[in-house]
Amino acid sequence: MSESGYNANVLIGVAIIGLLIGAGLGFGGSQIATSDEGGVSGKLKVGFIYVGPTGDIGWTAAHDKARMILDEKYDWLETNFVADVTEGQEGPFIDNLINDWGADVIFTTSFGFMDGTIAKGLEYPDTIFFHISGFKRAKNVGTVFADFYQLYFLNGLMAGALTQTDQIGYVAAFELPELIRHINAFQLGARFINPDVTTHVTWINSWFDPTSARNAATSLVGAEDVDVLAFTEDTAAVVEYAEETANVYAFSHYSPMQVLGPTSTISGQLVKWEVLYESIIQKIFLGEYTNENLENVDILGLLKEDAVQLGGSFDEVINSEFKTRLEAVTVDDPLLGTINVWDLVLARIDEMSDTNVRFEPFTGPIYDQDGVLRLADGERMSIGDLLSILWFIGVEGGCTTANDVGCVVS
Amino acid sequence: MSEHIIASAIVISSTFFLIPTIGEIFAEKSGVLNLGIEGMIVAGAAGSFLTTYLLRGLAGPKFLGGDITVWIGLLAGMLIGTVLALLHSFVSVTLNRNQIVSGIALTIFGTGLGGLFGRGVVGKQIETSKLDDISIPILKEIPFFGAVLFNRDIIVYFSYILVPLAWFILFRTKLGLMIRTVGENPISAHNQGINVKKIRHMSVLFGGALAGLSGAYLSLAWLGRWQEGITNDRGWIVIALVIVALWHPINALIGSYIFGVFWVYKLQFANGVDVLGFTIKADSNLMDMLPYLSTLGFLIIGSVMINFSKVKRLIGAPTELTVPFYDD
Repeated sequence: MSESGYNANVLIGVAIIGLLIGAGLGFGGSQIATSDEGGVSGKLKVGFIYVGPTGDIGWTAAHDKARMILDEKYDWLETNFVADVTEGQEGPFIDNLINDWGADVIFTTSFGFMDGTIAKGLEYPDTIFFHISGFKRAKNVGTVFADFYQLYFLNGLMAGALTQTDQIGYVAAFELPELIRHINAFQLGARFINPDVTTHVTWINSWFDPTSARNAATSLVGAEDVDVLAFTEDTAAVVEYAEETANVYAFSHYSPMQVLGPTSTISGQLVKWEVLYESIIQKIFLGEYTNENLENVDILGLLKEDAVQLGGSFDEVINSEFKTRLEAVTVDDPLLGTINVWDLVLARIDEMSDTNVRFEPFTGPIYDQDGVLRLADGERMSIGDLLSILWFIGVEGGCTTANDVGCVVS
Repeated sequence: MSEHIIASAIVISSTFFLIPTIGEIFAEKSGVLNLGIEGMIVAGAAGSFLTTYLLRGLAGPKFLGGDITVWIGLLAGMLIGTVLALLHSFVSVTLNRNQIVSGIALTIFGTGLGGLFGRGVVGKQIETSKLDDISIPILKEIPFFGAVLFNRDIIVYFSYILVPLAWFILFRTKLGLMIRTVGENPISAHNQGINVKKIRHMSVLFGGALAGLSGAYLSLAWLGRWQEGITNDRGWIVIALVIVALWHPINALIGSYIFGVFWVYKLQFANGVDVLGFTIKADSNLMDMLPYLSTLGFLIIGSVMINFSKVKRLIGAPTELTVPFYDD
């Protein structure tokens, strides 16, 4: 190797090492994001562990928005967060928030943080923990969740009214009770308006896989003639696909995605974590929730609790682009008489937001796709049954595994 | 029924595989295995999207489907792929270190780099320009195929040209002969006066540029967005594809499209697909395994037949793949 060649190699080597160190420093620096540091003691210090980046249009963004609203609202409250925490590696970050920052309360915002949260609850008995979406509790660890099944029913009403082909589609992540509940609610709503409607489900087996979600939407439109799409997975791919495709409409999920599809997003499901967080933090501040009494605290936020909201944007519950088309479709309701779908959706929101919850989508008679009566006439499904539901109401593609209760494998 | 919609999805998905596969064929033909493809794709996707986002103020009239910010973004994606490939070729060609270790390190590094640079642009798809489809006059009028093949974006058209071009360069030019010789018998190439290391560097850098372009295609043309985990580790399929394609560009085209069909249809197979009157149902996890299973199958068949020199020539695996070359 020649002398000049050697020098050039040393130069490249140094440049590479510099690049690696630079990237490492940049990465380390961005790992712990802090806000409002160095506050006065005596404030309630609340730390959040996020699974994703705060800038996504989705799950973590919704939690971080709630955090900022509450931080702004209460003088006695101080918040901090760690973003992009891999599930299973939350332990050290919880340690940091408690030991270095002095957190009194920790919210862990992903299902995969469940066991780690319980373990840390044992390790720090003086700290209060709340885990989002899990089912394990301890005396200082409570659980909280916000569910969309009522909103999916309302989405179904609109889908049933708007479909021209009588085929509607659903891009779904995993065959879990949460998604089965959503899909069934969507189907119930659509069938209420339009008995000829068929719901086609495509499973992508991933929470986050934008290319597969897009391919799933494409396949539903191409193979099944679907023209209205709903989804439960963590990307905006379905909304983006609908916006680029003529005569295909979609419901946004979790975050205000209407901005990505202004002419194709009919409505959607929105969460207001600030409502749930506020109620919890206030109760902690007032001494109602302590590190001793959370064993049975399991909070479920629905329309009545104002924890969830219908809409693809926080400004309108239904995209006004669709007003004429929804008003053109009318149905006969036993209580409300002949009513158009736009008004029906608004009426159902009122009923479900009422303290007495005057309407429940899962009210019998409901048959599964085997024809087995699952819910007797007039009976309402219990929260426990809803949270563990494993059977489908006649949807296409509802069963991917043979051993599912209530599934016909054809 | 709109079958052309699904066929279009297959073309779009397959292009993502095809472009980096051609690049990796060049690298491996010259004797350098680059397992860093996934890293280069991720970094290319993040870097190109970041570039286009940062230049958003310059967005103007569109030319061939993209405005100036998109074009610079695509170039940036290729440049990032090239720079990362330079890391690999420096370590594995100049320093003669282990190609496998270096390649895997590159994938991990590139994925991290993509996450780091892409952090600020997650969810910024509204302000960022996207590469639009442009239809080709006359050809677009062909029934079915016109809508599927000739109503796409310019990178898909580039992939149509890339395949015969790659074949021509590899098998019909002096440069291609040098690349293949360097991968087959570097000592004799060296004795013929060929600069073995230079050829290997060039081939690896070309592979990096195409991997970066594939990443840019993903974030700027196909999805119009960036987020961590955007590839779902599909860059690894490229490594498998090179083997399945027997290191040949034309086979790479066929292989990429077969894998594209699996990618799109795996979702359909979960619900059952009618094939010649039979309903075939397959779990989508099984469909995800198919590219890797078929690679293993090809490796086994290949190694059983490798003793016969004629078959070996047919298979086309470079003899000196992953073997360092010491020129002094």
